[in-house]
Amino acid sequence: MPPPKPAPIPIPPASPNVLPPTPISPTGTGIADVQDPEAAGLLSPKSQAFSFPPPQQQPPLEHNAVSTRRISIAEPAVKPGAAAASPFNFTPMVATKAPVTPKANQRRGHKYKHSSVSHQIFLEPPPRAPLSLPASLPMPTWTELYRSISPDQRTRALWCLCHLFVAGYTLYSAGGSLALTALSHLIVFDAAGASVCVAVDVLSNFEVWKRSSIRHPFGLERAEVLAGFAMSVFLLFMGFDIISHGAEHLLEGWWGPRSAHGHAHEEHVARVSAGSIDFAAAAALAVTMVSATLLKNHARIGRAMKFAALEHLPSILSNPSHLLTLATSTLLLLIPLLSLPQSSWLDRALALSMALSMIAIGVRLVKVLGSMLLMSYSGGGEKVSRVIDEIESDPAVKELQEARFWQAHHGLCIATLKVVIEAGMEEGRLRERLGRLVRDRLGGPYGKGAGSKWEVSVATTTS
Amino acid sequence: MDVISHRTALTYDKSSSSGEHSHEHSHSHSSHDHSHSNGHPHGHSHNHDDHHHHAAPPSAASKFLMRKFEGVPLIHSILAEKDSRRISYFMCLNFLFMMVQTIYGFITGSLGLISDSVHMFFDCLALAVGVCAAVMSKWPPSTRYPYGLGKMDTLAGFANGIFLMLISVEIVFEALERLRTPTEMSRLGELFVVSTAGLAVNMVGIFAFDHAHVHAGGGGHSHSHGGGGHGNDNMHGIFLHILADALGSVSVVISTMLIHYTSWPGFDPLASMLIAVLIFASSVPLVTSAAKNLLLTVDAGTEYTLRETIAGISALPGVRGYQATRFWESGEGMVRGVIHITAEGDPEAVRRRVEDWLKSNVEKVDVTVVVEHGAEGGCWCRRKD
Repeated sequence: MPPPKPAPIPIPPASPNVLPPTPISPTGTGIADVQDPEAAGLLSPKSQAFSFPPPQQQPPLEHNAVSTRRISIAEPAVKPGAAAASPFNFTPMVATKAPVTPKANQRRGHKYKHSSVSHQIFLEPPPRAPLSLPASLPMPTWTELYRSISPDQRTRALWCLCHLFVAGYTLYSAGGSLALTALSHLIVFDAAGASVCVAVDVLSNFEVWKRSSIRHPFGLERAEVLAGFAMSVFLLFMGFDIISHGAEHLLEGWWGPRSAHGHAHEEHVARVSAGSIDFAAAAALAVTMVSATLLKNHARIGRAMKFAALEHLPSILSNPSHLLTLATSTLLLLIPLLSLPQSSWLDRALALSMALSMIAIGVRLVKVLGSMLLMSYSGGGEKVSRVIDEIESDPAVKELQEARFWQAHHGLCIATLKVVIEAGMEEGRLRERLGRLVRDRLGGPYGKGAGSKWEVSVATTTS
Repeated sequence: MDVISHRTALTYDKSSSSGEHSHEHSHSHSSHDHSHSNGHPHGHSHNHDDHHHHAAPPSAASKFLMRKFEGVPLIHSILAEKDSRRISYFMCLNFLFMMVQTIYGFITGSLGLISDSVHMFFDCLALAVGVCAAVMSKWPPSTRYPYGLGKMDTLAGFANGIFLMLISVEIVFEALERLRTPTEMSRLGELFVVSTAGLAVNMVGIFAFDHAHVHAGGGGHSHSHGGGGHGNDNMHGIFLHILADALGSVSVVISTMLIHYTSWPGFDPLASMLIAVLIFASSVPLVTSAAKNLLLTVDAGTEYTLRETIAGISALPGVRGYQATRFWESGEGMVRGVIHITAEGDPEAVRRRVEDWLKSNVEKVDVTVVVEHGAEGGCWCRRKD
């Protein structure tokens, strides 16, 4: 009679990326050997609570085999008392301290286990899948990054440079016009956003971006949130910068006769003669349109922001930063073209309103992205507490001990729940139900189309 | 073996407001009545406060102010914490100086003075953000912020670092512009006086924050877990900000003197460029360490321990597999995480075993262990996507 074969290993062996320090090699008994003897001390669990059915018979042969085996278990895997009561509590599901190298006597133990006597006595240790550690993924080097850029991404990167160049041109040709300076700052912000988009695209060619590893538990995708946060600080900085420059200009005008600077701001009034095209503004308009439509420039940031008032506008305009850039560049293009009166007051008012809206957008962005970085979920206002109420009112839930909802990055939200349930409840069912509840209530209308994924972990206890 | 008594986000929510911290400091006299409505037993607040070991007790003036503002919880909580107290004192000093400067500037009609006070106004704003961050970082976890606001300090430090980098880039651009088209410097004497006064104010700030900065400085800040714990990045950022201002004043003082003696106006942009480069370089370590913390990156030492520990889980009896392991370091040296275990046998026992295993191998760990039966219809964690 052949011995019962262990069931085929359900999980395929670890991905090839699994690296040392601890290679886990499956042995016949399913003991995960640990090669490093020092680490083994760390790894021996104190499994007092283990309870296999005690063997009915105790043939002397097996006794030998087991006791030699026990010697190799330096850390007591079984309580001494328990060991005396049932010496064959065959529990070495344990990383042993001494490396369990295939010695001759241990091999013998194996052989006896498969003999016709022993296989009735010994329960076959359950089949153990070789468990894969989350792979440690290498960070791409610069050359790797450069090589991985696809032609499409290269054109987009070049376009970002072009965008930046237009920003420089606008700044250069501003010549004292505060509004045009503000516009150039906005274009710099747009260019930076486009560059971040391209960088994200390039980086997501790599595993380390998406996949979770021990080093980066949420992948590197959170870096995008951080970059967005830094950019919104940039936006705020530029807003304040414009305001302070404007204030200085204003003061210069105020104290003008007495100051040595003269009337620098008077010159720009006729910067573009009436009836002609302001090339800087036209270039700004064109470049923003192209970036917004082709590059999906800060699309994700725009989605994360979602001003309720702008939701109904077409997609380009629903991103507040695009809306601002497009509106002001159109205005700056139209004012000279239609021979509207140009005045330094109009210029200042325009610049001030741009600066204020930049600050408004920046504050909004800082709040949304900052809350992501602070490990909280900002998507739904009161929704979270309503979900908690709903979970607590679930008939299977006796008590909700812990409920944590937060967003790790643009694409991933995490919910961890600890619930106390009645003994004998079907946990799987409950888990599925709660998971669906969270996904339905919170995962819904997050932007248009793609919502972020929710990972719902429900830990249950009966006590 | 009992269930790990996690202090949960839900119970935190009900526990108390941040005003609680102040009790320790104001207990020295018993006559005052507590206006805090939460009515905590006093003993509780004491051992709660042990986490925030403040070596320096508040000065007599601070105590007086705290007594004064007993009824205003916001100001009281600012004064109760060492960090926020220092920042707010300095902010007041800065603000006063700004007011004096503005008024004097308007009276004398001096543009330099007024534009400098605009600059100081933004400094005050940055300091106000710092105070907010220092106070908010002590808020307990809530449903909105399930892991508390401990990262607020880091976030404020990060923002401050980015701000400094941007400012230094702007200074370099402006300096290049001024080198290209040199403008005649006017009112050198006035500029000299203003920048000397600004330097004096900022020196006060530097000495006030120097102590707080000791933990954060030196570049060896990357392994911040377990160390100073709280307040580092925020205080570091503010320190750098004040340092930048002080250096700016120094550069103006020196360059005005040089311009006075040599009458070459190029000294000013050169000096400010030098300062800008220094500021940029000094904010790089702040930004990188804060970014690492905010990205929830696990540092190398903890990674090793975690790797060993997780590998050990597979050897625990009853464990057939694990999925969806996510472990991250929270600011206070805690390791938090989620792990899904596929188990056989009693799930409760397996959960306890795994939790004990984690607790015995990783110090200060709080992990949500989800135990599933292999037969169960399949949690998302086992689905390939």
